[in-house]
Amino acid sequence: MHKKMSKKRDIAIIGMGVTKFGELFHQSYDDLVRESVLQATKDAGISLDEIQAGWLSTAFPEIGVFKGRSGMDLLEPLNLYGIPVTRVSNFCASGADAVRNAANALAAGECDVAMALGVEKLRDRSPQDSIVKMMVELSHPYYQKGFTAAGTFAIYAKRIMHEFGLTREDIANISVKNHYHGSLNDKAHHRMICSTEQVLRSPMVADPLTVMDSCPTTDGAACVIMVRAEDVDKTKHNPVYIDGIGLSVSTGWDLPFFDPKHDFLSFQATKDAAAMAYKQAGITKPIDEIDVIEVHDCFSIVELLTYEDLGLCKQGEAKDMIRGKATQLGGEIPVNVSGGLLSCGHPVGATGVRMVVEIATQLRGNSGDRQVKGATKGISHNIGGPGAIASVIVLNKEH
Amino acid sequence: MSFIKEYAIALPHFRISDKVLSPKGRKGQHAICYTDEDIITLAFQACEKIESDIDAILFATTSPIFKDRYHSSYLADLLGLKEGILAMDLGTTNRAGTDAVVLADRLLKSGSNENILIVAADVHYPSIGNETRSAFGHGAVAIVLSGKEGITKITKAKTYSSAMSEEFIYKGEKIQYDSRFARTRGFKNNLAFVLKSEELNSKSINKIYLNSLYAKIGFGQLKKAGFDLESQLGIDDVGKIAGHTGAAHGLMTLINSIEKNKDTSVLLDYHNGINLIEVESIELEKSSFNTKTTEINYYQDYLTLRKQGKFTARGYKSIEMFSSEMISERDKEMLLNLKGNKCKSCGTIYYMKALRCNSCKSDQFLQVQLSKNGTVYSITNEYYFPNSFAPTNMVVIDLDGGGRITVQQTDDMYPSESNLINIGDKVNLVFRKMMENDKKPNYFWKCIKK
Repeated sequence: MHKKMSKKRDIAIIGMGVTKFGELFHQSYDDLVRESVLQATKDAGISLDEIQAGWLSTAFPEIGVFKGRSGMDLLEPLNLYGIPVTRVSNFCASGADAVRNAANALAAGECDVAMALGVEKLRDRSPQDSIVKMMVELSHPYYQKGFTAAGTFAIYAKRIMHEFGLTREDIANISVKNHYHGSLNDKAHHRMICSTEQVLRSPMVADPLTVMDSCPTTDGAACVIMVRAEDVDKTKHNPVYIDGIGLSVSTGWDLPFFDPKHDFLSFQATKDAAAMAYKQAGITKPIDEIDVIEVHDCFSIVELLTYEDLGLCKQGEAKDMIRGKATQLGGEIPVNVSGGLLSCGHPVGATGVRMVVEIATQLRGNSGDRQVKGATKGISHNIGGPGAIASVIVLNKEH
Repeated sequence: MSFIKEYAIALPHFRISDKVLSPKGRKGQHAICYTDEDIITLAFQACEKIESDIDAILFATTSPIFKDRYHSSYLADLLGLKEGILAMDLGTTNRAGTDAVVLADRLLKSGSNENILIVAADVHYPSIGNETRSAFGHGAVAIVLSGKEGITKITKAKTYSSAMSEEFIYKGEKIQYDSRFARTRGFKNNLAFVLKSEELNSKSINKIYLNSLYAKIGFGQLKKAGFDLESQLGIDDVGKIAGHTGAAHGLMTLINSIEKNKDTSVLLDYHNGINLIEVESIELEKSSFNTKTTEINYYQDYLTLRKQGKFTARGYKSIEMFSSEMISERDKEMLLNLKGNKCKSCGTIYYMKALRCNSCKSDQFLQVQLSKNGTVYSITNEYYFPNSFAPTNMVVIDLDGGGRITVQQTDDMYPSESNLINIGDKVNLVFRKMMENDKKPNYFWKCIKK
């Protein structure tokens, strides 16, 4: 099934920019666009006008500030008219999908310098008016009525605890680990160290997930500028190469909750996307070949599940990875050294791009206190919808 | 001749006692709707148990939720009854329920119908502060009258109209005449007229029931007619456990009577005239009124419950749920009648329609009826979904015989051992309103622990 997706696109990331993630009450959607794009062009050593095409990822314009409904909202704050820009919308995988589309256009020769920008401005509204409102007010009048985003993942957590002996502490320790990592990241939304006890005792959101098992609602933007590998100028650029990109929509929004064959024990989308990306990148044993991973820990249970879905361990064994601290900074395979979504926050459209920037920065060796020593290959992973859509991107320091 | 062929009662799970409503409260208690119940869900709950092939439906209520829309037609649709069926609403007074019996009896005698479904449901709240002076209670009843056969024979079904009404509503205001004048001219006169005209005889009648808010002042008349109050007067058992259920109360009294008595009983259902229903029953040896209940502990909780249509969760005042008449109508068979789709090739049953089977990719499906019983596959408790009684418990259920559905738990205002749901538990689907703050009622399935 992945035959058509097995062709490697020979693409390099040459410029990156990320704003501070957080409650950016002093900045508008447009400010975030400008700040992240200018960082990226500076990093790439190019001027704005050298960008030939753009992909804009904003997942929820209608619950944000009505910005990002089309590619237009990327160019307006930059006064960079006259080039093609497409808005990409694929739930929490939107940012990664913008990167994928930019890479495809470069590979197809549509343009020579492409930009993928993720930006989300959620805090210009109160939290109840945004994500919760979507589940309460705007979704189907019957299906899944009663869920918030947390609940759709908590349903997985409950079943996995029942099947595999995963404990509340195991889930909480994902949050403890990522908050520790986040304390080392000056762009993270929440920078604090916490204990297992604190996670367990924070207010319950959707049993068994507490507030500290859940990522915050955040503003932020991230940008990457990409060229074909053949166009990299080593005298100017500090490139990171894309070895593989997989994206798969593997279930629906409602059907998992009404399909008797859906076991709520894994995300098929992650497995499918990983299979595509691994094939392109020639990866057969990720645990041995990959040095650093960013996974989509919107809720702590999702990170645990993703260990298994990415093939880092067998089904039911994720708990051993967190218990053995294998995924902590300094461990066998550090995961979410940025602090993940739990600590950085989750401006939905920006997250996927931020994670690519994080891995690329690690591979460049520029991650400061949270640098994974000697990292040469990394993965960034996103999952969106209630586990419906996943993206896996493999990055490599070497070409 | 007409017969009661089958019947069913629906009372809400919750009860509030007069002691909770007021420190000066006496002994009464009231059946009271949960946040997601109304006359339609109660009526539906009663009708669910009905098995006969229905050719007419009469709906009686004094607390209509619709105007310019027949509840009977709406319910006929929800129940999947034949299109174009005779469907009519009756209302205005508490004897609307027995009015329907009188009407149905005549329709059956005329031979135009065979099985008539009579549904009566009422949900009234007294004004705040006056609860203990009111005999309110919520409930619904469904009775099928047949022209051919049944468990109880209806030997008389008559109406004696009276112009006088002791209290009534005019331009939204409650009007009360001088009570002695009104009750003498109204109830007493009307009762005397009925007893005389019908020559009701204490020898041939085993039990006599008086359904009226003024029943007591009619006891003298019954005595005069030769009835022994001690042994022959029927007691309002339903009122004791559920309160006065409005238009449903006469029919509930009738059912209580046929469940408790044999031979001939008479119900005199008074409000602005008397309906006389005489039945000949056999021993049924069952009681439809002893259901599992939970007491409401606090007046505050009762106030929250009666805010039907508005919820009080923090921070969500402005949120209204999206509801769509188009979606409800289009997917009616699935959403409301619980019809599923069975893959012709591999047999997997789906609640939701899909173009191709998730297991075998076949595109051929058969429509099947799904069960209302099932086993919990997974569950979570949502603390941030707006709900006056958070958390909202979301339950993934594998239905007996196939199919999976994900619904909210209901009747779970007070978490306890009896409603704590775990993976593997057995649950039942019940028909309720989807959310509390909807602009129009949006009915769907929820679940309760078995």
